[in-house]
Amino acid sequence: MERGYWIKSKPVYTSLVWHEKATSHLVLATGIGGMAVLKLFQQMHPRQPVTVLYARYAQMDADYSETLKKVVPENLYIFKFEEALLASLKEILPDTRMGLRLYVAGSEGFIWDVAGVAKQFGIDDAEIMKELTDTLARSVYCVHCKSVTRNVTTNIVPCCGCERMLFVRDHFSRNLGAYMGLMVDAESPGELPAIEEIYP
Amino acid sequence: MNMIDVKVAAIKQVTPLIKHFTFVKEDGSELPSFSGGSHIVVALDADGRTYRNPYSLMGSPTETDAYHISVRRQENSRGGSAFMHENVSVGMTLKITHPVNLFTLAKMAHKHILIAGGIGITPFMSQIEDLKRLGVEYELHYAFRSYAQAAFVDELKKSCGSSLYCYGDSDGERLDMQGLLSWQPLGTHVYVCGPSPMVVSVIETARNLGWPEHSIHNEQFLSPPVGEPFKVQLAKSEIEVEVPAEMSMLEAIEAAGVKAEYLCRGGVCGRCELGVLEHDGGLEHHDHFLTESEKASCRKIMPCVSRSKGKRLLLDL
Repeated sequence: MERGYWIKSKPVYTSLVWHEKATSHLVLATGIGGMAVLKLFQQMHPRQPVTVLYARYAQMDADYSETLKKVVPENLYIFKFEEALLASLKEILPDTRMGLRLYVAGSEGFIWDVAGVAKQFGIDDAEIMKELTDTLARSVYCVHCKSVTRNVTTNIVPCCGCERMLFVRDHFSRNLGAYMGLMVDAESPGELPAIEEIYP
Repeated sequence: MNMIDVKVAAIKQVTPLIKHFTFVKEDGSELPSFSGGSHIVVALDADGRTYRNPYSLMGSPTETDAYHISVRRQENSRGGSAFMHENVSVGMTLKITHPVNLFTLAKMAHKHILIAGGIGITPFMSQIEDLKRLGVEYELHYAFRSYAQAAFVDELKKSCGSSLYCYGDSDGERLDMQGLLSWQPLGTHVYVCGPSPMVVSVIETARNLGWPEHSIHNEQFLSPPVGEPFKVQLAKSEIEVEVPAEMSMLEAIEAAGVKAEYLCRGGVCGRCELGVLEHDGGLEHHDHFLTESEKASCRKIMPCVSRSKGKRLLLDL
């Protein structure tokens, strides 16, 4: 890590805090992201309507649904998997008006899946408050074959599409929700640096 | 700044207070292309000084054989708009800048709400052409004092059809800002151009409803306000310039022969920003560019609209 150096495209995630000004609030979380939702409900409860969508099973199988049922007063919808949550999001957004504030907590893969759905409805990802939980695992976009390898926890990973060994960079595409992956042994085939888990 | 020579091809009195000017290149060649919402700065030599006023281009961006602007005669005009109304005639040559757009349409938006007050309609006239060409959903809400004084209503009815909503104040028609902005689909952007209270009202209403900052757009060119005279010392040029009551600091600096950067000349773009090295009584900020904390620090100033509260300023120029 070089001091004072930063790849600008690499997203910065924060802790969820209610927006003071809003017409309605929509909170989306998976797995350990449920804890981020519980933390939100420790803050002053907004005057505007709040809806919470929670998927129980994520990468870290941590289920906060029972606690959420006790804490979230109304409009709590619990799903087993992320896919069902995203399908429900697609049904909610067309009937929602400007003034909606979006909050998302979960793995980076989940956060950018949500951002991808929101984008179809004209919501810029900058409008979404994002908290990274569960894992640092990355989605990696292969610049050679354009496949995306998900849930990558190591510095170097075989591409799920072309099997090239990819070096995982910090350059991030908001459009793809993935980091750039570049063939690591292109100059000297077979010569690989040590493969280490750095995104647990 | 690289200026373009244009000839006044036509002048039309649109309402008792508004004149429409058509500019062409003298050799008949095309003018630079522009996007909806762009403006030009027109240089006017009057009373031994140069006024440089920004005006929105209101023609279709697809037609570059001529530029169209409309000028409202300001009640307390320092001279710029009065000069345009009284002294500019067909056949005259004027100098204009290349078009600059500080009021662009957000191309990713799903719907556009355009809100105009009075002469603030002008930037929307070119934007509407872009919106129609792109086939995007939009509404134009146009508020004015009275139908008799409102410019371009018939023209807009023809080009916008049912997307146009008019509000004549003298007929008791009011735009319900809260109602309008409470019920818009996700992905809507709002744009406002008009008198200051209207601009503030749109921005505040949208913010309070929770519209994200980047979905709220406004353009509000200010004319330099009249103030107390003061002296400006330029540290690098090592000269002293008197700024009279009815002249802006930027105009005074230019009149003294010092080259200063500028773009909009209306307190919006930030290009003319100058560093303040010393002041003796604070700054009178009028711009919409500096943040409140920057204004409070008294270390930066926009000479196009802002002035000194004291007798003397030392600028880093």
